[in-house]
Amino acid sequence: MAEAAHTPNRRALIGFATAAALAVACLMLRSDLPWLKAYPAQWTLAFSAWINLAIGALLEIASPLFRALSTFLDWPMRMIRDGLQAIPWLVLTAGFVAVALRAGGLPLALFSAVACVYIQVSGYWAESLNSLALVAVAFPLSVLAGLLIGIAMNKSRRLAAFLTPMLDFMQTAPAFAYLVPLIVLFGFGPVVGLIASAIYAIPPMARNTRLGLDMVSPELHEVAAMTGCSPVKRFWLVEMPTALPQLLVGLNQTIMAVLSMVVFAAIIGGFEDIGWEVLRSMRRAQFGESLMAGIIITLIAIMLDRITRGFALKARTHSKPAMPLGRYAGFAAAAMALAALASLILPEGAGSGFGMSERINAAVADLSVAVGTTTDALKNNAIYFFLLPIRIGLEQTISPFTWGFAFSPALKTGYWIALALLASAVALRKGPLAATITLLAGLFLYTGTSGMPWPATIALASAIGYWAGGARIAALWAGTLAMILLTGLWTPAMFSVYICLSAILICVALGGAIGVLAAQSDAVSALIRPILDLLQTIPPFVLLIPVVMFFQVGDFSAFLAIISYAIAPMIRYTEGGLRAVPPTKIEAGLTAGCTPMQLLFLVKLPTAQRQIALGINQSIMYGLAMLAVAALVGSRGLGQEVYVALGKADAGLGIMAGCAIAAIAICVDRTFVSALERG
Amino acid sequence: MTTGTLNTLAAAALGAVLATGAVAEAESDDPIKLTINEWTGQVLTTHIAGELLGKMGYNVEYVTAGYFPQMTALQDNTVTAALEIWTTNIADAYDIAIGSGNVTDIGSLGLVPLETWFYPAHVEELCPGLPDWEALKNCPQVFASAETIPQGRLVDYPADWGTSNRDRLIGLELPFTSIPAGSEGALVAEIKTAFTRETPLLVMFYSPHWIFSEFDLRAVTLPPHEEGCTDDPSVGVNPNATYDCDFKRGDVRKVAWAGMAEKWPGAHKLLGALEISNDQQIDLINMVDQQGKSVDDAVAHWLAENETTWQGWIDAAK
Repeated sequence: MAEAAHTPNRRALIGFATAAALAVACLMLRSDLPWLKAYPAQWTLAFSAWINLAIGALLEIASPLFRALSTFLDWPMRMIRDGLQAIPWLVLTAGFVAVALRAGGLPLALFSAVACVYIQVSGYWAESLNSLALVAVAFPLSVLAGLLIGIAMNKSRRLAAFLTPMLDFMQTAPAFAYLVPLIVLFGFGPVVGLIASAIYAIPPMARNTRLGLDMVSPELHEVAAMTGCSPVKRFWLVEMPTALPQLLVGLNQTIMAVLSMVVFAAIIGGFEDIGWEVLRSMRRAQFGESLMAGIIITLIAIMLDRITRGFALKARTHSKPAMPLGRYAGFAAAAMALAALASLILPEGAGSGFGMSERINAAVADLSVAVGTTTDALKNNAIYFFLLPIRIGLEQTISPFTWGFAFSPALKTGYWIALALLASAVALRKGPLAATITLLAGLFLYTGTSGMPWPATIALASAIGYWAGGARIAALWAGTLAMILLTGLWTPAMFSVYICLSAILICVALGGAIGVLAAQSDAVSALIRPILDLLQTIPPFVLLIPVVMFFQVGDFSAFLAIISYAIAPMIRYTEGGLRAVPPTKIEAGLTAGCTPMQLLFLVKLPTAQRQIALGINQSIMYGLAMLAVAALVGSRGLGQEVYVALGKADAGLGIMAGCAIAAIAICVDRTFVSALERG
Repeated sequence: MTTGTLNTLAAAALGAVLATGAVAEAESDDPIKLTINEWTGQVLTTHIAGELLGKMGYNVEYVTAGYFPQMTALQDNTVTAALEIWTTNIADAYDIAIGSGNVTDIGSLGLVPLETWFYPAHVEELCPGLPDWEALKNCPQVFASAETIPQGRLVDYPADWGTSNRDRLIGLELPFTSIPAGSEGALVAEIKTAFTRETPLLVMFYSPHWIFSEFDLRAVTLPPHEEGCTDDPSVGVNPNATYDCDFKRGDVRKVAWAGMAEKWPGAHKLLGALEISNDQQIDLINMVDQQGKSVDDAVAHWLAENETTWQGWIDAAK
């Protein structure tokens, strides 16, 4: 028992000590061996050329097949689009409201009515319908494919082991990365956007389907077997209904995923939709317009989500609606006919948004002037004392221009002595493992992500993997990083690691704190929930322009963009975890005489540890997913490589940069999962 | 409002009359699909082309398309032609498309883009000697940011547009660091903010662009461009470095699907002849972006002003 508890720690000590020794050795040798600092270009392999060859070959063989598929998917999308466009907006609104009323009662009907009126008034009605047509094909397609994959994964372990990493890639590689090959394969047009949306939206459905089916208890299976159910009957009558709550979660996540891809799909064009409007106004740096258009995507997401959820819940509870469907449809049709009449009388014509966007633009501009000195000071301090040390280390950060003094040799010696003393003190009080980690942190602070020699970085990452999940995870890290080295993407990858790492540190600290506050106070919770909803559904492009207006192009803007997107899961999971702490535990803490602070740190946070860890994990995933978007405000790294590939029409480079992001995400995920499983 | 509608109606009627008079014989009546990109100048150019093709009796369809993805779409006639390809910011996608043999270059649009470093007018007080480039040597601190200090910051084109500024800064021995902007939106936001907050800015940008109708953005005078200055250190102001001169003036090209010449020979000739000058386009951009006129009105204005020109193109194309 005692030995089992010690194993991970001993493993950790071995790993970290090796990494520390290697790092020290590399640092001492780096001036003599330049290849330690910068991996030589001639040692890389021409992966991108090979990938391009493979795509070329695939195109030769399968081009007619892909083009046929493209036509096959294009047809329903255009039919739906033309059909929707032909109906006057009042009639469609009446229809939507009728469906919403049936699914979710009066509040949802009211919400739908307001949303429809907003879309019409803002002047984006036609564009929104085009997006809706894309969603109307992509959503059922993703749900169907996700269901099938999920069921297959539930039935066969081997298939699951094969499909899981595929799903991970589909969800974490930025869409821009595979845009070029998709256009080549499927031809230019909205179908490419459709496929990209499906690629991104299938994984959540597949995962939730599998999870739901896996949760069906063995007893239930036995009962089904005893009552003589055939496998098919058992599946439809026992497994699916039991898994339904999880399927609903999947449905919700799939809708969100499809809609979040609408803007990415618009990059290609060919389908004047709302995403195109967001991109166009973003290109012109018109925050007001892009916000007005972006909010529509949020509104559609909420509407579709609540409607599908409402119907699914009704189906589950088998509650008899007050009015039979036939008669209800009759009433709805009558309402729509009335609306058709009304739209004959009312003047037709798109709204113009009442000058709302101009007012937003003016307000943001005024604000950027008013708080200019504050934002500049904030930015400078964050860069000098936080971002630069993480990127290039104290070694290169400290200069008379930044910290007001030079990092003289005497100071450097002082730094090393202080680090040695600190490590010794920690060794005495907390043992050798903590001392080694202190030492590594000190080394890292000195060199930063870009200054750390690559063998040391690989050793450090592998050591963390080894500590968390043993040799398997260590090998995963080592393999991933070695591949990145071989592809020649090491420097951009380290830049991405730096910008994500800095953002995640803030997300954990700030998001954790907000989560704690929200768990303590219902008012705070109610206040932040709509903000989080908005942050998670509005196209992240919309937020880029104001960030640049306040903080200019550069690392700090990218850093803020990533935080704005990655902080939401951290807050949500922290709050959820803390609120789920059993009251008995809190009472026990209270009777033991805990102060509120002690209660939080000694009882609540440790109990909610797993959810919080999951929140950190999700924050990292979101952060990595934002890399490609953050590159639009001047962050370098893998995200920028993806765009460079798009400009060069170099499918291979794009795929490699995308794979590097996905591979890092998978490594992080596996590390967290195994650390959590170990407890 | 009413006169506008009447004008449009009249123009449409006139167009219809002209169209029936000029139906291109024996050519395909499949729609010719022209790409619409995200910026005003391109939209105007394309609508002018579309109007002229309409006058010749062709069916025209406008297709929104991303700047890079359209190069793929052109290869199989998913779209037929793209009329504003800026050679300076398309990187390799243009070469790849032409190299495929499925896309042909159908000539220059006539725009002469000015691409160089720009600064807001109010910076002249902070850095005396501008617009001469040598003034920049003495005031990097004016343009410095936390990331570049002690050097100045040059907000550069997005990395995917391709840029030579890193070499140029070295060649001209200027104490500046180039920071890629990441996207056109970020470039425009930087410029807008520099004017609203009256902060200094040095930015790589291009003209004609609608932003010049809104802000007084001025170009830095760099040492004149000389042939060979990008390869030969001895050419240019710095005897030891390359890129020690101004940018080579770029070119804006028109490209079309290779099969167009055969399927719509007349239209192909017309698009080949189509040209617009910097001043004309800037005027039209002003009408749309500054005066709030519609694209159709601006195009009608151009057509009315330049009737002899385009009638010549049409006659030559028949």
